[in-house]
Amino acid sequence: MIALNVNGQDRSVDVPDDMPLLWVLRDVIGLTGTKFGCGIAQCGACTVQLDGQPVRSCVLPVASVGTRHVTTVEAIGATPSGKKVQQAWLDLEVIQCGYCQSGQIMSASALLERNPNPSDSDIDAAMSGNICRCGTYTRIRAAIKQAAKA
Amino acid sequence: MKRLGLIILAAVVVIAAAVAVFLFKPASLPDVSVAQAALPTGQALIDRGEYLARAADCVACHTTSGGKPYAGGLAFKLPFGTLYSPNITADKETGIGNWSDAEFVRALHQGIDDQGKNLYPAFPYAAYARMTTEDALAIKAYLFSLPPVRADAPGNELVFPFNQRYVMRFWNLLFVPSGPLQPDPQQTADWNRGAYLVEAMAHCGECHTPRNLFYALDSGKTFAGAELQGWKAYNISSDKRTGIGSWSDEQLTDYLSKGHAEGRGSPTGSMGEAVDYSLRHLTPEDIKSIVAYVRTVPPQVSSDQAIVEADPPTLKASTAYAPATDAAAQGGLGLKLFQGACASCHGWNGEGLQTPYAALRGSRTVNDPDGTNLIQVILKGAHMTTPTGAQTMPAFANAYSDVEIAALGNYVLAHFGGKQSAITPADVAKARTQ
Repeated sequence: MIALNVNGQDRSVDVPDDMPLLWVLRDVIGLTGTKFGCGIAQCGACTVQLDGQPVRSCVLPVASVGTRHVTTVEAIGATPSGKKVQQAWLDLEVIQCGYCQSGQIMSASALLERNPNPSDSDIDAAMSGNICRCGTYTRIRAAIKQAAKA
Repeated sequence: MKRLGLIILAAVVVIAAAVAVFLFKPASLPDVSVAQAALPTGQALIDRGEYLARAADCVACHTTSGGKPYAGGLAFKLPFGTLYSPNITADKETGIGNWSDAEFVRALHQGIDDQGKNLYPAFPYAAYARMTTEDALAIKAYLFSLPPVRADAPGNELVFPFNQRYVMRFWNLLFVPSGPLQPDPQQTADWNRGAYLVEAMAHCGECHTPRNLFYALDSGKTFAGAELQGWKAYNISSDKRTGIGSWSDEQLTDYLSKGHAEGRGSPTGSMGEAVDYSLRHLTPEDIKSIVAYVRTVPPQVSSDQAIVEADPPTLKASTAYAPATDAAAQGGLGLKLFQGACASCHGWNGEGLQTPYAALRGSRTVNDPDGTNLIQVILKGAHMTTPTGAQTMPAFANAYSDVEIAALGNYVLAHFGGKQSAITPADVAKARTQ
């Protein structure tokens, strides 16, 4: 059994050590807001936060999470920057198909948490690993800036 | 005058006959009965053999990617052709199921197969010659305890004269030691165990020692580093600058047993395999012995430019999530690629974002201006089993062009190693074929 803290709740899951955290979240715990994209940490759709830091859950063995708190898109609205990001996303209608957006929101809120006023190049550095098939990049950038001002 | 001619002719005939006897005399079998009697039986013997087979890392060469363990077939591209590792499962037709104990010991100690034919030293029998007969027999018992696999390895493709196996007898005369490694009474038991593990079992020198004209290990340059199959095996002598002399015991221990050392990066390529298949399975005592021994290998200064810059200014100026603002503003293809494909796991400050295994600071691979291993690992990715699950880096060979990978390589060397490098798309194209 592996002990996890997910969205503030202590959980105990009976899974192999090397199962990716994403599978545990989606298939074992049932939190399906986090998406499977590429499975090799190249698209960012599976981004969750560990103690506020964005990680790619598809390649993160669950045993390496340890005592760090996992936050998923289901609970990011409860954090100050997550709340602002989600509001800006709604205000600017960032989403098209939406598949990548939970990952985008997790990366964006982590960025604002550590850098309340990011420049364009800060946004590039933080968000380049999150790919959007619909090409909503310009709205994502605008929404991050709006959230920073909020 | 006529008489002198006859004497010379006679001498030539005698020498030719002696050489012919040397080359074609059937090989004799060693007596292994004393060793057989000294060994445990049943599961105890198999367990001992399993540990030793791992210490000798048999599986790395006798298994293809995705193939059945020990079923052979892995290709070795050498300057004189291509060799394929044979099936060493106990299958009677395609493996070694009919080999006697004495034949197996002879193969490990002398490089001769069950039919008396010479094997090629891609099989490191010059190292295994130092193994005790008991340990060799334990390995056989383990291999024979596994399910036999029916698999024919492809035939070797060697050019003349290397396709004539008897030629190896000259090589063996020159380069194969006889008898197991004898303990050095001047040294501790720990050191002697380490020497045995390194020289007779793990055969570290087969990759890390440069080869001489005869393709044998150059005994004057032990562990000075070498290049093979497109990868560098770095200098692991005790030289402080170009070897491992400045590594702490803890760093060496972690690198070998966990596949990552703080401030030294993680092994990839063949060394990643050596850790995954072999070294991480060894007991802490054996790893300690290996470290004790390797530390005492005399320093070899190599010309390799992979000198680690522990804390380049570019890393100091970065956070985990972004490079220095001015560097980011400069852009460039390499930076853009790193940003999109690499930064989410590796981070920008060299500490590794996703996992410590992705920490690049201090790794020789990101400090080698040739970029040899860097290009390879970008093309082929990496995989390692660790105490906290499997760690994987994807292969990018099919994702990016030669131009892109060259730019990425040069960026990574500048950012993580503070190195000026000039990797060209042609270098990447060549690496793809290796």
